[in-house]
Amino acid sequence: MNMLGKVLEHYQLVASVIFVIGVVGFLARRNVLVQLMSIELMLNAVNLALVAFNRAHGEDMNGQVFAFFIIAVAAAEVAVGLAIILNFFRLRSTVDADAADSLKH
Amino acid sequence: MNPIFPAGDFTLLAIIIALPLVGAFVNGVFGKRLGKEAVTLMALSSVGASFLASVYTFFALRAAQTAEQAARFHWHGWEWMRLSSRTDAMGAGSNVPIELAFSVDALSGTMILVITGVGLLIHLYSTQYMRQDEGYHRFFAYLNLFVFSMLVLVLGDSLPVLFVGWEGVGVCSYLLIGFWFHEDANAAAGKKAFIANRIGDFGLLVAMGLLVYYCGALDWKGIEAASSSLAQPVKYWPIGTHVPLAAALPESAANWLNAPRYASAATLVSLALFLGAAGKSAQLPLYVWLPDAMAGPTPVSALIHAATMVTAGIYLCARLAGVFVLSPAAMFTVALIGAATALFAATIALVQNDIKKVLAYSTVSQLGYMFLGVGVGAFSAGFFHVLTHAFFKACLFLGAGSVIYAMHARIHDTERSQDMRHMGGMRAFMPITFATFVAAWGAIVGFPLLSGFFSKDEILFKAYTSSVVAPGDGKLHTARGVIDAFVWPSWGPTVLYGMGVVAAALTAFYMTRLVIGIFFGSFKGWTVVPHWKEPEGDPHAHEHAHHAVEEALEGPAPKESPWQMTLPLVVLGLLSVFAGALNAHALFHSHVLDTWLEPVFAHAQSGIKLVENEEALAIPLLIPSVVVFLLGAGVAYWMYLMAGGEPARKLASAAPRLYQLLYDKWRVDELYEETIIGAVDSLADFAAAFDRIVVDGVLARLTALLVRASGGLLRLLQTGRVHVYALSMVVGLGGLGWFFVAPHATASLERNDGAGAYVLTAAPGLGYQYRWYAEGEQPQDFGQQHTYELTIDKAGDTRKVKLEVKNAFGRVDAKEYVVNRAKPDLSGLPLTIDVGQGADGQLRGDVRPQPGAPQ
Repeated sequence: MNMLGKVLEHYQLVASVIFVIGVVGFLARRNVLVQLMSIELMLNAVNLALVAFNRAHGEDMNGQVFAFFIIAVAAAEVAVGLAIILNFFRLRSTVDADAADSLKH
Repeated sequence: MNPIFPAGDFTLLAIIIALPLVGAFVNGVFGKRLGKEAVTLMALSSVGASFLASVYTFFALRAAQTAEQAARFHWHGWEWMRLSSRTDAMGAGSNVPIELAFSVDALSGTMILVITGVGLLIHLYSTQYMRQDEGYHRFFAYLNLFVFSMLVLVLGDSLPVLFVGWEGVGVCSYLLIGFWFHEDANAAAGKKAFIANRIGDFGLLVAMGLLVYYCGALDWKGIEAASSSLAQPVKYWPIGTHVPLAAALPESAANWLNAPRYASAATLVSLALFLGAAGKSAQLPLYVWLPDAMAGPTPVSALIHAATMVTAGIYLCARLAGVFVLSPAAMFTVALIGAATALFAATIALVQNDIKKVLAYSTVSQLGYMFLGVGVGAFSAGFFHVLTHAFFKACLFLGAGSVIYAMHARIHDTERSQDMRHMGGMRAFMPITFATFVAAWGAIVGFPLLSGFFSKDEILFKAYTSSVVAPGDGKLHTARGVIDAFVWPSWGPTVLYGMGVVAAALTAFYMTRLVIGIFFGSFKGWTVVPHWKEPEGDPHAHEHAHHAVEEALEGPAPKESPWQMTLPLVVLGLLSVFAGALNAHALFHSHVLDTWLEPVFAHAQSGIKLVENEEALAIPLLIPSVVVFLLGAGVAYWMYLMAGGEPARKLASAAPRLYQLLYDKWRVDELYEETIIGAVDSLADFAAAFDRIVVDGVLARLTALLVRASGGLLRLLQTGRVHVYALSMVVGLGGLGWFFVAPHATASLERNDGAGAYVLTAAPGLGYQYRWYAEGEQPQDFGQQHTYELTIDKAGDTRKVKLEVKNAFGRVDAKEYVVNRAKPDLSGLPLTIDVGQGADGQLRGDVRPQPGAPQ
């Protein structure tokens, strides 16, 4: 049943590390482009975890199909995100996330 | 006999009624685009055709009516609605269908002749009088609508249909009084008329409710057939069983307050009907609207506020004569209020200077006469006065309008152009107006052999000779014994007659004063300059500038009005002179109208008692009428013409306060202003203050404050920094993750206390495995069983069950559940208590449910 055996835990460890790198990157950096990349890191960490679980426990392909969905959604998200960043740059001439504070007012 | 229009389906009635409605519709909707000529044509032809149809109807009625059998033609539209009345004595609840049906008999047949005939003349008159007005089409639309409503009122076969017309004429009256609504006073007068009429309408509605209750019918025939049930006594006081808080008073006062009081149902119905009639026909104390109603155009005053609408109250009383005669008390009230109004309004008319105001108070006074006639049971005499009054008062108003029209050549101010102090000597300038005005004057003051002489004398004669007695044995058989019905006091007829005669003297005086003021003496409006020409520029602007400085005016000689205005005057003048021949009993034994109306009022004659040998009194009672006419007219002639008004001025300065009181109309308006209107205003002020302080202040401000404060708090969270939002998301995600990682041993319990069976169901979760064990059992391995069933045999017992849950991460949570079988609720069940003496000598009771009760 367990083809990966103990190796699953390694995958999970790697996935968790990548996820935490994404979270910290998203929270700590001010550059919007870097934040977008951090989001991509988090998404791919989840993908990795899903595929690994599916491989370890799954009798079907649900987890891997789910990963494909996430990849597709992430592509769309990047397209929208880059468009927002582009417009934001045109408006403020900067890519600093702290400059996006007009919601406060 | 009548092949086109059979008596049972007399379609002509629908045509009579619908034509003015069509006129009103066309003039109201398209009038502006049609132009004045087309509006004139439409208005005149619709009323004219309606008049011709009415004439045909009248003669058809004459042909159909015999001495024994009243003729009545019906036209039935459709069933309007259906009410159910109370269960009657026979035990059957009856339906009261309200049909949209119209009928015509001798009474209404005569009325529609007056409405359409006088209406047509006044329409013709208005084409000239209103020629310069911007609202020409609007005026004729309203006027046609009025004729329609009045016809509905008169021809309606039941009270609800009459009520539709009643409200319709009220609306038209409102619209026409406020026709020149740009001036606040006119709009206010319209409103006043409308509101005063509402009070009367309330009475009419109450009467309808009572009639449904007691008679189970609202159509004339049904009411007449069931009128015997109106003789039953009704307890009207106290409402309920006793007066609240009466017990707090001394015993005698409380007993007096709580004593039940009875009246016959007919009295209640009649008084409610009379309230309606008094509102519409401007009787005390609701007359105040009619003098103000003169703010409308003069033809309106002639048609609505003299000839037709204000007589609707008398028509109503005459129509329901069969109900009124059942109640001597109500009849006496009607007669007394009528006589009092006749006298009261006449005193006010003595000193007014506005010629339309004089005529308005004169109308109120004459309406009082009509109610006096109706009140003493002389229905046909009252109606005779309605008829003659329609002619002579319309003639007087139109004559006054003609004079005002002439005055408008130079004086455009409404108040000044109607003031008789600016007139005088018009006899020379306006011969036709003068002649017809004098004819109508003769009629109203009772100049012998003219119409008003006969109709007024007839009323006074009946007031003296006739009274009303209660039907049957004159007793009310109440639940608390037999009591006497109201009996007319012996002084009643004498007092009523005396009031009428005094009012007649006053009438002769003020009408003579009016005629002298307008037509005799020298013209005081402006200096007459032959061949005078209108100065250049806008005449109105010019005039108003002049009025301000009261500069002496110059102008041409006043002109006689054109034929459209004089023709109606001549016709009405002739009718004022000769209409008396219809019913000139006293001198010529002419009974045309009496005979004609006799079948209509036949059922209402039962309670009317005449003094002995009344015919012999006819001539003696005529003498005071002639004497007071001579006296009133003579004094006025001497005062205002021979002595040039000097005695009047002396009299006024001798009793300045009385004069001022009369001039201010007894200050009744001011009284109402202070009491009723003041009370309503205070209530409105209170409501406004409540709105300002409680609603605006507390409710609105407090709510706003709450929202603002919570908004201010929440605003602190919205920093606008993306990182803070992201951090909160991460924290939330972490919390969610923790919740999923930790196991949760929660279960829900499904109870069945009756059978003692219980099912525990554990909540699902990620990779959850369960194990259950009761108190004292050994735990088993974790499994997939998420429900646990247990049975408790005895009520009141308790069992403990432990649930352990292990999740996918191998973490375990445990929780203990205590299940208690409740005892059955026996409260409210029959119980038996066995009481016995125990071995220790103490009494003890054993409680046991009765056999068959659930455990």
